Amino acid sequence: MATLTWDQTAQRFYETGVDRGVLYQLDETGEYVDGVAWSGLTGVTESPSGAESNKQYADNIVYLNLISVEMFSCTIEAFYYPPEFEQNDGSASPTSGVSVGQQPRKTFGFSWRTLKGNDTEGNLHGYKIHLVWGALAAPSEKAYATVNDSPEAITFSWEVSTTPVAVGTVLSVEYAPTASMTIDSTKVDPAKLAILEGYLYGSVSEDPMLPSPADVITIMASALTLATPTAPTYDNTDDMITIPAVTGVEYLIDGEVVPSGDFGPITANTLVRARPLTGYKFPTPVQDEWLITFS
Amino acid sequence: MVPRDLLQSILETIVDNVYFQPPPDLQMVYPAIRYERARADSAFADNVPYKTTKQYQLILISRSPDNLAFESLINLPMCSHERFYVADNLNHDVFNIYF
Repeated sequence: MATLTWDQTAQRFYETGVDRGVLYQLDETGEYVDGVAWSGLTGVTESPSGAESNKQYADNIVYLNLISVEMFSCTIEAFYYPPEFEQNDGSASPTSGVSVGQQPRKTFGFSWRTLKGNDTEGNLHGYKIHLVWGALAAPSEKAYATVNDSPEAITFSWEVSTTPVAVGTVLSVEYAPTASMTIDSTKVDPAKLAILEGYLYGSVSEDPMLPSPADVITIMASALTLATPTAPTYDNTDDMITIPAVTGVEYLIDGEVVPSGDFGPITANTLVRARPLTGYKFPTPVQDEWLITFS
Repeated sequence: MVPRDLLQSILETIVDNVYFQPPPDLQMVYPAIRYERARADSAFADNVPYKTTKQYQLILISRSPDNLAFESLINLPMCSHERFYVADNLNHDVFNIYF
């Protein structure tokens, strides 16, 4: 039989800090793309609501206890915001430097990181990545004040509500729609976490994007299959590039996924990039981009 | 121009004799402003000091308690008067300024 113990060495965990805020825009295909760094993040306060008890009485007893749907909302506080956030905060920009207020607010995705520490490694023990989909910022107060005898910067604050997005059945498990997810670096496979962070924060060949909840679950929970990209070929007689068909690999030109087969004719030097599909990974090192020289 | 050089040039428009952390044996000419680094004030974001502002302590030293430089100093942005005292028959006005 196991005996419970408390506060053992290296088991005294805590959470602290907030950093690596990233803002993602929802595009017309439903993907959260164009991630930009949110510098100056001072706090994120999660404020889940709902899940309220609604007792039903019958036969002189509590017959059942119905629970309302749980909703995720949060408050983002920061010294400043990326200019891309203006469209999410009800501003339109007809030209650089001009912001028109009271415009439709756009849905966005958001991620941030908190640190997970313990008594032996301190704040370096690990971290949690928090992901939010379907976020909508409410109008918020901006209290501008005079410069006085102490150096204070305005702290902006936005209340964010969310609309859960579908998850569906992933790896034979059905999930309810969700707007939030948390990844604990101390518990997940570092290789899978690196893949997820490659999506979230971008890489040499990829722009930052927020994968869907189903994709995040697939990345983190499934066994990754090794896929090795093969190089595209170029025929300078007709200037066509042949994109190879490799299981688990998709190829991109100018950021757009291109199907296997002929692409072109090209009229200039063209960079072809490869990236693993969800559930696959590339061996390391691997060549995943090729510059096709037009001739 | 680094911020302290700019502060030095601003102070030199107020009085002719401006001394930054002078050595103890320096014979100062009055009226004068003697100033030194005091502290730095940091605002934190992203788990790092996001914005840091240096504070300087300025001392206006004058033989007259009504030196006009007082008005110029008190009207500088982010400047506050801390105290006044007399020592060695010299009037001292101590200011704190973030710059």
